[in-house]
Amino acid sequence: MAMSEAPSAERSPPPGRLPPGPTCRVDFSRPLDFTFLGRGVRGFAGDTVASALYAAGVRTFGRSLKYHRPRGLYSMEGESSNTFMAIDGVPNECAETTRLRAGMSVRAQNVRGDPRTDFFGLIDPFDRLMPAGFYYRLFHRPYGLWPLFQNGLRRMAGTGVLDTQHDHGRDGLRAERYMNAEVAIVGGGAAGMSAALAAAESGLRVCLFERRPWLGGHLAWRVRDFEGEPLHARAEALARRLRAAENVKVFTNSPVTGVWGENLVTGFTIGTEDDPFRECHWECRAATVVVAAGCMDRPLVFNHNDRPGVMQAGAAWRLARTCAVRPGWAAVFSVADDQSLEAAVDLSDLGVEVRGVADAREAGRQDPELVAALEKRGIPLLPGWAVSRAMGRRRVRACELRPLDGGGSSHFQCDLLVANGGMQPRIGVLATAKARLAYCTHTHTYQPAELPPGVFAAGSMTGLRDPRSIEGSGRLAGCRAADLASGAASDRRTDTARRDADALPGPVAGCDIRHGSGIGRGAKAFVDLDEDGTYKNVKESAAQGFDVPELAKRFGGFGLGPGQYRVTGQNLAMIMADLRGDPIETATPTTVRPPLAPPSLATLAGPGHDVHKRTPLHAEQAAHGAVFRRAGPWQRARYFSDDVTCRAEIRNVRNNVGILDSSPLGKFRIFGPDALNALQRVYISDMRKTRPGRCKYSAMCNDMGHLLDDGVIVEEGEDDYYFTTSSGRAGATVEWFRFHTRHDGWDYNLVNLTDVLGSLNIAGPNARKVLQRVTTDDVTNEAFPYMACRPITVGDGVRARCLRLGFVGELSYELHVPSSYSRYLWDLLMEAGADLGIRPFGLEAQYCLRAEKGHIIIGAESEARVTLTDIGMGWMWDRKDTASKKVGAPALRACEKQPGRMKLVGFRVDEGQGSPRDGALVVDGAEIVGYVCTTRRSEALGWQYGMALVCDGHAAKGATLSLQEEHKPGKRATFSATAIPPHFYDPRGTRLRA
Amino acid sequence: MTVKPSFNWLRLRRLWRPAPVRRHYDVVIIGGGIHGLATAYYLARAHGIRDVAVLESHYIGFGGSGRNTAIVRANQRTPENVRLYDEGLKLWRTLTDELDFNLMFFNCGTLMLGHSEAAVDGYRMLASTHNLLGVKSEVLDPLQCAELIPGLDISDRPAFPIQAGLYHPPGGVVRHDAVVWGLAKGAAAHGVHIHQGCEVQGIDTDGSRVTGVRTSLGTIRCNRLGIMAGGYSTAVAAMVGIELPIHPLTIQAMVTHPLKPFLHHVFSSGAYHVYANQTLKGEIATGAHMDPQVNYTNDATAYYLKHQAEALVDLMPVLRGVRFMRIWAGLADMTPDMAPIMEGHLRYDDLYLDAGWGYFGFKSGPVAGKYMADYMATGERPEILEAFQLKRFLEGRYSGETAAVMKYGHWD
Repeated sequence: MAMSEAPSAERSPPPGRLPPGPTCRVDFSRPLDFTFLGRGVRGFAGDTVASALYAAGVRTFGRSLKYHRPRGLYSMEGESSNTFMAIDGVPNECAETTRLRAGMSVRAQNVRGDPRTDFFGLIDPFDRLMPAGFYYRLFHRPYGLWPLFQNGLRRMAGTGVLDTQHDHGRDGLRAERYMNAEVAIVGGGAAGMSAALAAAESGLRVCLFERRPWLGGHLAWRVRDFEGEPLHARAEALARRLRAAENVKVFTNSPVTGVWGENLVTGFTIGTEDDPFRECHWECRAATVVVAAGCMDRPLVFNHNDRPGVMQAGAAWRLARTCAVRPGWAAVFSVADDQSLEAAVDLSDLGVEVRGVADAREAGRQDPELVAALEKRGIPLLPGWAVSRAMGRRRVRACELRPLDGGGSSHFQCDLLVANGGMQPRIGVLATAKARLAYCTHTHTYQPAELPPGVFAAGSMTGLRDPRSIEGSGRLAGCRAADLASGAASDRRTDTARRDADALPGPVAGCDIRHGSGIGRGAKAFVDLDEDGTYKNVKESAAQGFDVPELAKRFGGFGLGPGQYRVTGQNLAMIMADLRGDPIETATPTTVRPPLAPPSLATLAGPGHDVHKRTPLHAEQAAHGAVFRRAGPWQRARYFSDDVTCRAEIRNVRNNVGILDSSPLGKFRIFGPDALNALQRVYISDMRKTRPGRCKYSAMCNDMGHLLDDGVIVEEGEDDYYFTTSSGRAGATVEWFRFHTRHDGWDYNLVNLTDVLGSLNIAGPNARKVLQRVTTDDVTNEAFPYMACRPITVGDGVRARCLRLGFVGELSYELHVPSSYSRYLWDLLMEAGADLGIRPFGLEAQYCLRAEKGHIIIGAESEARVTLTDIGMGWMWDRKDTASKKVGAPALRACEKQPGRMKLVGFRVDEGQGSPRDGALVVDGAEIVGYVCTTRRSEALGWQYGMALVCDGHAAKGATLSLQEEHKPGKRATFSATAIPPHFYDPRGTRLRA
Repeated sequence: MTVKPSFNWLRLRRLWRPAPVRRHYDVVIIGGGIHGLATAYYLARAHGIRDVAVLESHYIGFGGSGRNTAIVRANQRTPENVRLYDEGLKLWRTLTDELDFNLMFFNCGTLMLGHSEAAVDGYRMLASTHNLLGVKSEVLDPLQCAELIPGLDISDRPAFPIQAGLYHPPGGVVRHDAVVWGLAKGAAAHGVHIHQGCEVQGIDTDGSRVTGVRTSLGTIRCNRLGIMAGGYSTAVAAMVGIELPIHPLTIQAMVTHPLKPFLHHVFSSGAYHVYANQTLKGEIATGAHMDPQVNYTNDATAYYLKHQAEALVDLMPVLRGVRFMRIWAGLADMTPDMAPIMEGHLRYDDLYLDAGWGYFGFKSGPVAGKYMADYMATGERPEILEAFQLKRFLEGRYSGETAAVMKYGHWD
């Protein structure tokens, strides 16, 4: 991205604005009109919502969570929820970082009406009644009143209002991008850019992520001369070189949300006018990561440090330099580092009257050049001083400065109070990357004590301040990352970079100020802005035993709000160490948790693909009015009419002929010398009894004897078998075979043909008639009996594997053809059966038809409490075979004769009652003894049948079962039924064999 | 109850005092989470056994107790479980009074959403079971679900359209940290010692007896030992060579930026692997399914952050503009039948175990502690714990808490 040209300064700037300088990002020639609380406001292209509002004179942006205190612009980087606003109906949008667009509608949050005159502001003085954790000790006596208090608390809590009636205009395309890089770089400042350039020299793929719209970090708005050119020009030169490097991809507007396991860097890109998307979620799998995330102001804790007008140095400076907004007319600084002194000088040059600068560091530690510059401008510098109090009720009108070692105070009138305790590194990225951070007593910041493999830190976050050092550290990190990523030993280039970096000035001493003097005396000094956590609350938490940061965080609510650890983390740890009387280096920060920048759910969710599989016959079934439902990964036809009892579909199968798309059925070929051994291991029956041309029905169990799968196996040749599994098990079958034969060294091949082959069932008394019309092969009962399986030729020579089965209890053929022929076969059969009245049937009809026949479906009539034998399928189990080590056989043996197990029974609901539904309980008095798996009223039978799992004492044939359901409290229905064997329809199977 | 005006909440006292480590305790409990603290509390309060130490390797509530989404309910599948959790639900109020600590039970009801015919059948069975046992539960149609949860998409558009709901009014949300602290306060007030930063490194045995534990704070001898270490119970039990049928799996949760209250009930969806509620502070707290592979880490993953967003906006498109603020992870100690193991005299006469709660460890904490205290005090298994013995896995008698045959990690 090119640096934006400085707009012409011929005209005088608009009201509230400064003359645009060389680092200004706002284009006064492109006004953007929007509304704030319904009033029209004008901003300009390049503004954020907050900078435009500030220029328009808005100082109170919202009200705080607990005390409803007025809150103003504080950081320009979204480090607290101070400027969270409702924008175009979307709550909790950060005005500091949201780019202004024309026509936006902006509202304040957590207020009634105008944030300047909020009714609940009257809560503020009552903080004495609300010490840390007060809600744990209040409101519960008497308990009956708690719900009232609870609802009151709920109403007071929260900030933004979510409109549940609308979709919030979060429209616009969401994109996703998945990248690979040898070197990922977090931060596009001087260090990050230098690292990228160094890594790119090795020819590696480099991705650089910068959350601001431009590159350059803090150099981008600094005009101070360094080595003969302004600092921003230095950054621009680096950016130009970076843009020219071919193997570097630069992502601006792209905050990083975290570095996860194996150096997965994630984040999102906020689209500009030039991007085809509104926001794009991305993930970058990187071999190495260079973290050059820079610094932020460490908030200074002092009385009323949350008043509108109190600002971080970076915020005031950026307002003036990048947005050409006057941050104030009269400013006082209370800072603790040279960069902030530079800001004071610079703001003074821009026409802000700087009335005094307190520097928490003692005299002599300041940059002499800056001291001279302050003196030249007549700005008094007070070393060893800090602000002790901000004054003014709704915004800063004055402040009080005091020496840190005690002594008299000085008052200054001001409308801008720039305050910090020096700079703190943005440790989030390193922390999520699992770097071990330790307190450094030189820089007085958290520094990486141990970096995980492939992660490097560089730039100002390591305490460097000299631009050459920052670039040098970046270059070194880039070289080292490239060496590691390319597997090269440390080369000469890296050695040179290391020598260069070592020769440059090292980390600069920091300041360990905890807070201003006179803290907490009748005033609030905030450690956490989001949830109104004060210094006093920290003390109160400690007094109640929560005296380590991790516990105080949870008890008092520090760093749990939208700003997370950023505003609170280091201050809380330092203050707590003080309160405990521990040395400062023992201060441990609280855990940093991703996402480091908050992505919207829409952006994370992306375009929202509904991922599912369709059978080859999806369109054909849809044309017949199919209602599709998800079944595992598939969309399958459940009904073919509005009638969910599927009476017509069922009747047509029982009396005529129906067609079912059974393509998701698992289909496999296993072959090789040990194929039979493998089948013997996983199937519960004696698989030596398979015969060519015959289907053998069998089942698989797990180690606990639970039924996992059933299907048919056909021997197709020597050591060559074809078998089917239930649709739900198709995906797991290969792994299941391999797992259970992993120690045997057996030689077999197992191929999953599920998606390769389509499957169609035709079922009903007229099924043969239809089939015979499409094939010249003999499919008469004599030539093609029940359970036969052989290839036949259909239509114009399509070879189909034909299996004569009877899941639905009628004469039925299952035809497996290559998926690409499925539609041809469907059309062929539909045409051949048209005069007979062939019609498709869906899963629900199949479900009922097979239940009438007493054929079970795994999961419907089986569960975790029952084994194969419990559901009456023990006949399949080859008990004598112990040599094959059949999976599940030992458990079946152990459970077989156990009393008190649940058993599957069939039942007939006694006449003259209503119809119970699936899930009805089987009860014995007040005791639950089982439940109904499936029950339906059968037209073919003329009565209501069902299957239930019941305790064995109730499973005897002819036993009376009491069924009971109560889907709503008090609405109880009872039924009586008689236990019968679960073969209701055609128990002798004559129709199957017809 | 009489209303006593008091300004107790203004008096700031330590909830519990650090105590010196004694070399011997009557009872040692490993694990300073809800289960361990509740057991200690009831041992001291109900049985007068005050010579008790709770050993916690980090800080109390570091594990699952402080990482769950704080949902409580009693709409389980089997009568044994429903009875236990129902008693647990009633304890929140009792404990709030006993501990004089507001556990902030928000009795908002829970709504489980069903997205298939099979799920609806399952809900009918659940509702019938609960109502028969006197626990309120009701099957709702999609329109009734939308009335409870505004913004829920009940059309056919979502990948898994909503077919029905199971509403359970007695359920709700409890402030999980408060339970940990309240129990610690109550236990300490009865003389229980809570040792934080005390890592158990080994367990000493002598014949059929457990004699003590070796810890980072030295050896502590004891007469009775309880293992209640949540996700780490398998590792602790392994110290005495006991192998448990438990798979520890990472489970993740996250919160959004705070919003004014609009979600007045807990809702969950099995098909989407989502459960969500709005905290007192206004955040939407939501949890996901477990990571597929067995592991002991508390690492959150980028995958789940995205997965959760996909699922939530498909169910509730009005959440599209809301932002995730924080994600974290904890351990779920899963048994094959999703029911816990509460066992006494486990290989050693004086060894007790309370583990395998999976993702139900929070809702069950106090009631499990109550009965484990009974068990440890008397040596006799309380009747209500009959269903939760370890031997059921050897006998192939799963509890039926989950209908599905579960698989964690491997195929075994």
